[in-house]
Amino acid sequence: MATELGVSDVLQARKDYNATLASAGRRERATWFPLALLTLLVLLPALQITGGHNYTLHLVLYAMMYAAMASSWNILGGYTGYISLGHNVFFCIGGYVSGMILAYFGITSLITAPLAGLTAAVVGFAVGLITLKMRGPTFIISSIALLMVARILFDHWQFVGGSNGVTLPQMDIPAQWAKLPYYYGMMVVCALTVWASYRIKHSKFGLGLRAISQDEVKAESAGIDTRFYKVLAFAISAFFVGMAGAIWGEYITYLRPNIFLIILVAANMVLMCILGGKGTVAGPIVGAVVLIAFNELSVTFFGASEINLLITGLVMVLALKFFPAGIVGTLARKRRLPRVLDWD
Amino acid sequence: MLASTLQVLILGLALGGVYALMASGLTLIFGVMRIVNLAHPIMIIAGAFVAYWLFRLYGLDPILAMPIAASVLFVIGVVLYKLVFEKEAASAKYSEMTVLLTFAVALCADGLLGALFSNTQRVTTPAYATDAFIFGTVFIPKGQAYAGAISLLVIGALLAFLNFSRFGTAIRATTQNRAAAQLMGVNVGRVSLITFGIGIALAGAAGALVSFLFSFFPAKHWEWIAILMSLVVLGGMGKLMGAILSAFLLSVIAAFVGTYFGSTWSTMTFFLALFVILLVRPQGLLGDRQEEA
Repeated sequence: MATELGVSDVLQARKDYNATLASAGRRERATWFPLALLTLLVLLPALQITGGHNYTLHLVLYAMMYAAMASSWNILGGYTGYISLGHNVFFCIGGYVSGMILAYFGITSLITAPLAGLTAAVVGFAVGLITLKMRGPTFIISSIALLMVARILFDHWQFVGGSNGVTLPQMDIPAQWAKLPYYYGMMVVCALTVWASYRIKHSKFGLGLRAISQDEVKAESAGIDTRFYKVLAFAISAFFVGMAGAIWGEYITYLRPNIFLIILVAANMVLMCILGGKGTVAGPIVGAVVLIAFNELSVTFFGASEINLLITGLVMVLALKFFPAGIVGTLARKRRLPRVLDWD
Repeated sequence: MLASTLQVLILGLALGGVYALMASGLTLIFGVMRIVNLAHPIMIIAGAFVAYWLFRLYGLDPILAMPIAASVLFVIGVVLYKLVFEKEAASAKYSEMTVLLTFAVALCADGLLGALFSNTQRVTTPAYATDAFIFGTVFIPKGQAYAGAISLLVIGALLAFLNFSRFGTAIRATTQNRAAAQLMGVNVGRVSLITFGIGIALAGAAGALVSFLFSFFPAKHWEWIAILMSLVVLGGMGKLMGAILSAFLLSVIAAFVGTYFGSTWSTMTFFLALFVILLVRPQGLLGDRQEEA
């Protein structure tokens, strides 16, 4: 007697099989490591009970900000392969939206950050509709032009203080604890971004994005709405950068175009991704930590920001020429990647 | 009213010549090697620095310093190509890779020039920089008139070289079809090397003119990247005549915008033109309707 097998049974069996495969993969995964890292970051401010660790906290906050921004850039630049050299425009938009709300209504950016992110995402979506029509070099050029347009607009928009910027009110907290709200705020943004980056990579959407980076024409003919996918990736990427900008703006207590809209910020995002490994989840974080440590050392030894620029450029040339897959990517290719860094 | 319109038109055209010279090297490099050279504007600044120091130390006229600036930058270009770009021709993600590399080179050069000479505004001041020809109600600053005329001369020489010399033919052949050119016995590697050198040399030559037209400092090149790129995109990537045409076109429009709305917005013209052209005619004025590799 033959068993009756319907299509739904086959689909169910396949689903079960995939689930067992996935759970087997999950058991090998070092999920504990990101969680341990997060716990460590949560507990770190306890150092402040004895005081004198403001610099450490600042540095960690700074690293978390760049980890968030590089991860966010990775969603577009790493998965889709569209290199944006003007992504700090969204950093700036986020900072100014939250900063202006703070200045006029007194609501802290810790609350308004999602709104700032959303604004950045809307702008990103609109800009993406225009610029993502172009592929390769022309898109990169348009992203630089976007940065220049934003710089001119913000430099001359008197409502937001023009090129002099605006000073934001500070929270009334003793100096010892002053950094904490922003520290935790940035930590939430960073964790959210990395989580989103992971989820996107493992979704159908992420698969579509990676298909676009391989061969856009084939992806299109396989039925992927490449235009919508790209623009959505751009908007999502803008969202998290905008949130990071919102918190950073209030943290440093003043907004000025030449803080947000300088090419070095964009260059850092790109370089961290390349250095750590484009298209991997852990890569941007590794890149952010390495590059910030490196920058901090170079500022200690050489001082001037021009030298810093020169070194950033040199690192970028060397990374591109000798490690185009980045630290995580190269190690993974050689099967030497430690399990704790395999977040994909 | 008519006179002032004519006035603005003339000023726009004079500057357009210089922009065309700047964009020609960029276009040449893109045409032959498909490299979008984001480091081009910083090379222009480097050329301006060569002219500046020759002027300051030896009192050499910036226009006479042009060949020297061009030669220095030619050498820099050739060395740069050998060191950074030559091996990348085989890379799979070639165009994306080279853009990032030129970006990194631009960062390096910006940092180096900034560290050496600091980011203060500089300008060379030959006598003609502050003088003007006056015809009735219309005047032309001598500096801009000379710069425009010399740019046209250099561009003319470049076009003649490309069209009438053997090596120029090889360059044009490589631009049209790299593989076919190689099959016809063109040494594509050498053509690429020399063309890169020539492109950067043109940037150096333009830099010497820039040194007395605008005040410059290393970090200024970011603004120029977008300006030059808008010219190249508007003209159609890799099309020399297109780039020259759009240089004059945008320069004149920018001059009018600057006169009626203020100089800030004249820079904006270039960026907005870039977005408009991407929306309306992504392949550029003279570009072919085909996908880029």
